[in-house]
Amino acid sequence: MNRIFINTDYCKGCLICVECCPKKALKASSAISAKGYTLPEPHNPEKCNGCGMCEIVCPDFAIAVEKEDKAV
Amino acid sequence: MLKHPMLKYLKEEGPYGPRLPLILCPGCGAGQVLNFTLHAVDSIIEEGGAKKEDFVFISGVGCSSRLTSHYLNFDSAWTIHGRSLAIATGALLANPGLNIVVFTGDGDAAAIGGNHFIHAFRRNINVTVICMNNGLYGMTGGQVAPTTLSQAITSTTPYGNIEDAFDLCRLAQTSGASYVARWTTAHPLKATKAIKKAIGKKGASFIEILSQCPVHKKETPVDMIRALKAMTVPIKKAEGSDKIPVGEFCDTPRPEWTEKYETIIEKCTARRS
Amino acid sequence: MSVASLAKKENGTCPPALITPGRHYLEGSEACVEGALVAGLKVYGGYPITPASEIMEHAAQRLPAVGGRFIQMEDEISAACTLIGASWAGGKAMTATSSPGFSLMQEAISFSIMTETPLVIVDVQRPGPGQGYITTSQEDVMQARWGHHGQGPIIALAPCSVQDMFDLTIEAFNLSEAWRTPVLIMAEETVAHMRERLIVPDLDQIRVVPRKKPQDLGIAPEDYQPYGHDLVPPLADFGEGYNINHVSLAHHPDGNVARYNLDMHRENVVRLHEKIEGNVDAIARVESRFLDDCEHVLICFGAVARTGVEAVMEAREVHGVKIGFLRLVTLWPFAENQLRKLINKVGTIFVPEMNLGMMVHPITETLRDRCDRVVSIPSIGALHSPETLLEKICEAVKC
Repeated sequence: MNRIFINTDYCKGCLICVECCPKKALKASSAISAKGYTLPEPHNPEKCNGCGMCEIVCPDFAIAVEKEDKAV
Repeated sequence: MLKHPMLKYLKEEGPYGPRLPLILCPGCGAGQVLNFTLHAVDSIIEEGGAKKEDFVFISGVGCSSRLTSHYLNFDSAWTIHGRSLAIATGALLANPGLNIVVFTGDGDAAAIGGNHFIHAFRRNINVTVICMNNGLYGMTGGQVAPTTLSQAITSTTPYGNIEDAFDLCRLAQTSGASYVARWTTAHPLKATKAIKKAIGKKGASFIEILSQCPVHKKETPVDMIRALKAMTVPIKKAEGSDKIPVGEFCDTPRPEWTEKYETIIEKCTARRS
Repeated sequence: MSVASLAKKENGTCPPALITPGRHYLEGSEACVEGALVAGLKVYGGYPITPASEIMEHAAQRLPAVGGRFIQMEDEISAACTLIGASWAGGKAMTATSSPGFSLMQEAISFSIMTETPLVIVDVQRPGPGQGYITTSQEDVMQARWGHHGQGPIIALAPCSVQDMFDLTIEAFNLSEAWRTPVLIMAEETVAHMRERLIVPDLDQIRVVPRKKPQDLGIAPEDYQPYGHDLVPPLADFGEGYNINHVSLAHHPDGNVARYNLDMHRENVVRLHEKIEGNVDAIARVESRFLDDCEHVLICFGAVARTGVEAVMEAREVHGVKIGFLRLVTLWPFAENQLRKLINKVGTIFVPEMNLGMMVHPITETLRDRCDRVVSIPSIGALHSPETLLEKICEAVKC
């Protein structure tokens, strides 16, 4: 399964990644972060196909996808 | 914790503390454009199309220009409002081998920088200009810009904008740019591809990216991106539509300035005994 | 051989790139460019303006011969900005303008001071305000110090002859690299348009200061701080893999502007100030004659030195007035210590200037306790004749 990492130091909760994910593998968290943002979190992460769209649309370089076959 | 692949091109920590996160507001289109650009640059470097040390990023002043303020792990310069193209011109004259990318905004490029905008394209200097057009002056509080649509309410047009907007792509093309394209932050792959193509071309390229300013427009980033998608139409289907055309406007290579000057240098230094 | 022929091919070969050692007969504008080329000029970005256009035209003709590049930009602002980019890319750069254009360049100068960018700007002064007139003046000498916003220090030189236009241009480039700062050459229409003898020594006798690079100090790219390491920080050029970030907002020595605060800004501004003002004695030069026995002194700068020294010599030889002569070669930083060292106690200090009295103020501030009085001798739009100066001297000392 591909893994999605969200850097909570850099993420500002814009949720563009949630919108742009073609597989709807992300959703807005129900919690508020320490900085007051609504962060994204994996949602049905098994649906993630590693396309990297979330990586390319993130304004803050706060998300990364580790593909299953490249996992260490 | 796996890091975003483009963080290798940013300066995260230093002797005087962290530089990230970017100072930009949540969901700002400028951050996305930086992401597209770094993906494009990474692709070029990986394919051996250019060396990392030859890249120089130059910006003026404004939200878009903050991208080069101190984040980039490249040669970069955060300069004077509107003057990045003049500074880029000077850098090229000293070292024509530099691969210069200019980050600018609509106000920086077309208001205070307007004169340098048209002349840089007229001269066809070897530069890629990436203009993040959010239709206003973001950094200073949301004032009207030369790209603000008619009737829009901004902090300096509280009764509605009575002016019309520039078409920056048409302005660049008329001035003489060799490659001109427009995309939006709702077109991440197309925008990245256009940036990559522009950087690879000799001569002056202009890439306009319509970008969202969620704070001054008081809309969510996601809503604004949906709107950008909805208000644009591919250029091939633009006839008869009142939507904003996106795509390539021109791709007309012509001799670049330093190439032409080279013939003068050769004439003056040839056959020196 | 005159420089005019340098651009033309002779005997089927191109002329030498740099001026040949020996005697030449040149216009001040030409001498300025020849000096710049000897100093290593590689980029000139210009804009036409009377009476400075000849410098630009000469640069257009001469630069390709040294493999340099000339461009006429769309205005003075972009002309000055061209120099900034060129300098960052490792190319020594210069432009020349006149007073109205000088006003337009002030933001670029302020920016260059903050980013510590070496470059040279020549101001061939003409009378103002506004379009003013097109003859000579020294009306921008305060603008040179205070015209750029903020409190950044500046180095400004005042050439008085064609020889000076050559020598001081080389000195300007050397100062700009040695102190990592923009340097101004405050010429006047007089000195730019006069034509006289220039003596060029063997070129290997001429000292050209190289840029201080981090590589020379063994600093690796990952450790490089663009505004750190030393009072005068080493400067990496574009394309050398040093990932330099040029910024002019308040910054730390490594270029970081995150969470900028007043303390970091103050620290930086104080260092910039100390870099120049704290090294006045190393940077500023004055020239003097007849000071040993002087009872009065004439202090001047630029073209006024030519008629000033004539008046002083005539006052001494014909009228027996024991008057000394002092010329400020450097206007800024102001050579306060040197003036106080050279002048102990005199009666009258005469300060002729081609303006209504500008440098007379720092001169008075510095030497008021060393004299009975300071007499300003203004002239608008024209050089004082030796007769006018002599008349003022005699009137004051009653000879």
